Amino acid sequence: MSIEIQIPSVFASYANNKTAFQVKGSTVGECLHDLGKQSPGLAKLILDKNGNLGRAFDIYIDGESAYPNEMTKPVKEGDKLNIVMLIYGG
Amino acid sequence: MLTAEERERYDRQIMLYGFGEEGQEKLKKARVFIAGAGGLGSTVAIYLAAAGVGTIRIADHDTVELSNLNRQVLHWDEDTGNQKVDSAAAKLRRLNRSIKIEAIAETITEANISHLVADSDLIVDAMDNLPTRYLLNRTAIKKDIPFFHGAVYGFEGRAMTIIPGKSACLNCLYHGATVPEEKFPVIGVTPAVIGCIQAAEVIKYIVGFGELLTDRLLNFDGLKMTFTELKVRKDPNCEHCGKIQGR
Repeated sequence: MSIEIQIPSVFASYANNKTAFQVKGSTVGECLHDLGKQSPGLAKLILDKNGNLGRAFDIYIDGESAYPNEMTKPVKEGDKLNIVMLIYGG
Repeated sequence: MLTAEERERYDRQIMLYGFGEEGQEKLKKARVFIAGAGGLGSTVAIYLAAAGVGTIRIADHDTVELSNLNRQVLHWDEDTGNQKVDSAAAKLRRLNRSIKIEAIAETITEANISHLVADSDLIVDAMDNLPTRYLLNRTAIKKDIPFFHGAVYGFEGRAMTIIPGKSACLNCLYHGATVPEEKFPVIGVTPAVIGCIQAAEVIKYIVGFGELLTDRLLNFDGLKMTFTELKVRKDPNCEHCGKIQGR
């Protein structure tokens, strides 16, 4: 099952200048861990030490918020995930 | 009632379908509170002043630093060391002498927020920190004042409009999350883009036309040059707005 994950451009430097990844998994969590295998630097940023989604991030599945319990939300072939970072600057 | 000078000054926007002199009069009567006179606040204030919003109250406790000038376009070289709100007010009055600018050189706190937003028709979130953004969000909901959120980081920015009792709020979006706040990277064009979107939302809300960014987070990625729209749902258990769901 192939899922696309879009990451914020600001993280491209941690991911060989890529901002989109094809990952495999049946849940958001499986997809993020597959992303982490492809790009360990990204995993350190997005996931906490227990492998859960960091508090500064939200996941959207095809434009819909996956909150709460994001990591267990199911995904299907062709879904597009957006990782959105909490930003506060003005 | 518009003066002859105002009819001439705002002629191009009065021409807009659905705007007219009635829309211009609504802008003239409007009172807008802008929280922050930095990158976002500069852009929002410039375009609201140019559009003829009758009263703009802008609050910020900071003074102008040289490192602000790459993005905070209301502040210029000669303003370094001065209060941002004084610098902002001086430019805005030169831009449009017919509107009222109220400069508040105070930190926005629990103690003064009610006073600061009193009489305001809406609140613009142009802050640089999450605790004050959440405070503004809570206050907007409590006082039933529309709230226009914007935030930036690097080449990325986002905006969302919050109508208390009707749409998802800032806390529905971020669930009370906070992050350690540090000096953040930003290029001036990002708050310019997002500030213009916030100003457009404010103008549409006041005039009463168009579709607002309610329950939608508009995310701008200037490096990819994309706008992505994400749906945000009102959280029935939200600590800020959940109790008044469906009001």
